[in-house]
Amino acid sequence: MFCPQCGASNTDNAMVCVQCGRNLQAAILAAPIQTPGVVLPPGATIQNYLVFAILATVFCCLPAGIPAIVYAAQVNGKLQAGDLAGAKAASDNAKMWCWISFGVGLGGVVLWLMLFMLGLVSGLHQS
Amino acid sequence: MRTTVNLPKNRVMAAMFLLGVAGIIMRVFDPATSGIFPPCPVRYLTGLYCPGCGSLRAMHALLHGELGRAWAMNPLMIVMLPFVTYGLVSAALLELRGKGLPEVVLPATWIRAIGVAVIVFGIARNLPLYPFDLLAPGALLHLQ
Repeated sequence: MFCPQCGASNTDNAMVCVQCGRNLQAAILAAPIQTPGVVLPPGATIQNYLVFAILATVFCCLPAGIPAIVYAAQVNGKLQAGDLAGAKAASDNAKMWCWISFGVGLGGVVLWLMLFMLGLVSGLHQS
Repeated sequence: MRTTVNLPKNRVMAAMFLLGVAGIIMRVFDPATSGIFPPCPVRYLTGLYCPGCGSLRAMHALLHGELGRAWAMNPLMIVMLPFVTYGLVSAALLELRGKGLPEVVLPATWIRAIGVAVIVFGIARNLPLYPFDLLAPGALLHLQ
């Protein structure tokens, strides 16, 4: 990779730039994704919906969030590799699985409340 | 963690309203004893704990300031909570003022590691072996 500060060539896993000493790991994490041949407009990102995937999986008891996490990883992986189209496709899939989780969760809650109110499940409590 | 999401402002408001209502419900009603909360579908159908089992009871405990009890119910949720909160606040701010909080773009391997950690946690808390059985919801509360 090239140092974003002085432009010196460094190995891909270098912690600091060999020429100017800039922290390259921080640069990787913070800088907009720039790969040779790929131009993303400033400030533009391809969303990976990771927060919502984790929300669905861990906070809402919904294993449907797992595919969303997998696709979130694909988004960032393909961005790192410069595959914009692939990242966009993975992003759409991540979004879709988040919505599936949300829809199934919401539907389940509504259904449960309806059954609860009808008194049909008054004896069936979660252990 | 990438947090941007294109929700119109009124949907942010709707989300905050729903979050508030959910918070009130989770504080007032105890998921351990009240039947108004739906059971975890995984637990209901298979009898196994999923990675999210105990998260409702953990939220209930948190809203009553009982961090230790919340941790016992679902430690993974407590670990994830600060990050998810940050991400949600950032997503809301992005809509409301056009700019989110500073972002960290996680390498793909880290995200896969999170996914693997969630699955491993889900398996481990079902194992009837010490110390894994302590990960089952509430197990730490009975440790003497």
